[in-house]
Amino acid sequence: MGTLEQIDVPHTQSSSSSSSSIDSNNHPSRTPPPSSPSSSVCRKRTDLSTDLRLGLSISPSSQSQPPFNSTPREESFNWPPIKSILRSTLVGKQSHLSQRPSLFVKVYMEGIPIGRKLNLMAHYSYDGLVKTLGHMFRTTILCPNSQPLNSGNFHVLTYEDQEGDWMMVGDVPWEMFLNSVKRLKITRADRC
Amino acid sequence: MRPRVAYSFPEEVLEHVFSFIECDKDRGSISLVCKSWYEIDRWCRRRVFVGNCYAVSPAAVVNRFPKVRSITIKGKPHFADFNLVPEGWGAYVGPWIKAMAAAYPWLQEIRLKRMVVTDECLELIAKSFKNFGVLVLTSCEGFTTDGLAAIAAHCRNLRELELRESEVDDICGHWLSHFPDSYTSLVSLNISCLGNEVNLSALERLVSRCPNLQTLRLNRAVPLDRLANLLRGAPQLAELGTGAYTTEMRPEVFSNLAEAFSGCRQLKSLSGFWDVLPSYLPAVYPICSNLTSLNMSYATIQSPDLTKLVSQCENLQRLWVLDYIEDAGLEVIAASCKDLRELRVFPSDPFGLEPNVALTEQGLVSVSEGCSKLQSVLYFCRQMSNAALLTIARNRPNMTRFRLCIIEPQVPDYLTHDPLDAGFGAIVEHCKDLRRLSLSGLLTDRVFEYIGTYGKKLEMLSVAFAGDSDLGLHHVLSGCDNLRKLEIRDCPFGDKALLANAAKLETMRSLWMSSCLVSYGACKLLGQKMPMLNVEVIDERGPPDSRPDSSPVEKLYIYRTVSGPRLDMPGYVWRMEDDSALRIS
Repeated sequence: MGTLEQIDVPHTQSSSSSSSSIDSNNHPSRTPPPSSPSSSVCRKRTDLSTDLRLGLSISPSSQSQPPFNSTPREESFNWPPIKSILRSTLVGKQSHLSQRPSLFVKVYMEGIPIGRKLNLMAHYSYDGLVKTLGHMFRTTILCPNSQPLNSGNFHVLTYEDQEGDWMMVGDVPWEMFLNSVKRLKITRADRC
Repeated sequence: MRPRVAYSFPEEVLEHVFSFIECDKDRGSISLVCKSWYEIDRWCRRRVFVGNCYAVSPAAVVNRFPKVRSITIKGKPHFADFNLVPEGWGAYVGPWIKAMAAAYPWLQEIRLKRMVVTDECLELIAKSFKNFGVLVLTSCEGFTTDGLAAIAAHCRNLRELELRESEVDDICGHWLSHFPDSYTSLVSLNISCLGNEVNLSALERLVSRCPNLQTLRLNRAVPLDRLANLLRGAPQLAELGTGAYTTEMRPEVFSNLAEAFSGCRQLKSLSGFWDVLPSYLPAVYPICSNLTSLNMSYATIQSPDLTKLVSQCENLQRLWVLDYIEDAGLEVIAASCKDLRELRVFPSDPFGLEPNVALTEQGLVSVSEGCSKLQSVLYFCRQMSNAALLTIARNRPNMTRFRLCIIEPQVPDYLTHDPLDAGFGAIVEHCKDLRRLSLSGLLTDRVFEYIGTYGKKLEMLSVAFAGDSDLGLHHVLSGCDNLRKLEIRDCPFGDKALLANAAKLETMRSLWMSSCLVSYGACKLLGQKMPMLNVEVIDERGPPDSRPDSSPVEKLYIYRTVSGPRLDMPGYVWRMEDDSALRIS
């Protein structure tokens, strides 16, 4: 790719004649003093002005340069480019999630007199809840939807709903469960 | 003597032939063939597209095309979407509506983008056009629900009312009840940007009495337990935007909703899903295989729920999601959505410093491998490599729109620590039909040389925090033959490249440069020498005259125009005078 290597090579006659219409418009100050590119910004050794005969003596003053290369994250407002509607939706969501409430319920396991307490809102699904309880009570709890293979050695999870009935965990959507659960009980599978 | 049949088609015949040519550009070309074609086209042009409301005056359009039925006008620069254009900049549609109200009593369609629309404008529309049918306001502002009430009350033949991402001052939800009871022609209603609750019973009645309703996009305030009822009233819907997709858990709401969704066999597009509760998503599973478009960009749910939903949409062509989809989800999509053409992945935590999700360049690589029709990408992520970009470019040479936003500016290839020049270079080299490109990450002038060399069909380029010198900008302006819109922010590009390519600017619709190195002196020079350009300096620090000519301007917006200076510039905009203006004064 020959052309791509020529970054520092001055431009050809054709590019200057085709593009610099300011020249062809008979700009009054014809003599082009080569402007000095400010060093911090124009790192590459390129001097367009001589090629392109701009007839300009203007070059950006070095004092007033924007800080292109210094920690842009803090200085660059409106970045990353996201439309305000999505942005406000996300901002609303962030605070919504950070204010996630807690819901502590009692958990008993059959045969163990001392109960535990657990924050249901720290869980997002039945799977996570079952996993936590399995660790808490050092037992294997059957997942709500799995087939009980050898029920004798396993436990299942039940809960008491608002009406005082004892139900098997996992039949209703998780959020609905959160609305109706009063407390949990881990029961031997062969008792159900 | 041989009859010159070919030259002497009657006007009616040519008019009929022209009517089959719908592309604006082609109609423009036709009108340049000869004087008689210009005249014929002028009288039979029904549709006009104005890409910049200041490029031509309303009077000129009205005089040239006396029989327009449909008009599309665009206003503010694209960067207004990202808050870079100050308040009160302009793009008022008032003069356009006034001119059209007088000239086009039979105007049927108005589509506006990024314009300021007042209630007076909406009232004028409602009262002036006898057979008005389509009002689409995309990213517009300045009006209230009172203006919408006027449209609802007077436009008996209204088919489409779409407020796409507009900023509406939502005074009163009762505007919907201004649609008369006899009104039944609605085909498309999009109110997703409204903040307040609309009158729900008015909405339900409206929806159920319009048999041709195809598109209904609700706002966040419409509760989920009303959705089933709305759907039952419009089982023919093709496009639905839900409201808030959450409610207090009641089993009957779910079963009701699932039943209503499964009754909508024509649904092919879904959006909305604010505040989504994942447990309600299974209600849409039965119709997933019909979907061609899914916008979950407001749905803050975790990867497994999102992936499960999307993987069932095997005919999906367009997917917008938050980055909660993660690499794993995108891999599933690559395997299941073989028809995917457009993918947008937005950041769920754009301002956080640490990644909150497992989304990297790998997700995009997977989709580029699995989805052979993918041609349009907008992807926000936190790391990228040249190798990944090269793979994507090789996988998808059919890409036409590629916008990559690496959230942290000026981040190099995370594997090699090189600039990403070679990666983006590969994109422009392999994707020969690339029309739109947005750059991000650490980039030197070299990437612009690649773009100038290969980006021959590129029409719009967005650049931020990139390049080293004027040479970068020079490569783009001198190389991209089809460039129409160029927007640049925070790049060290200055006078020389701009002035050297002044003539190029007349071939483009517009150039935006903010926080770059263009001096006030260069702007003045450009304004003097290029009378067909409006060179507008935007500087909120005060008059640029008060600073040295060599000091860089804050923002610069240059566009070609045939109507001269605009008359509605706010105090912080200065138009550089051309020579002729100086002579007069």
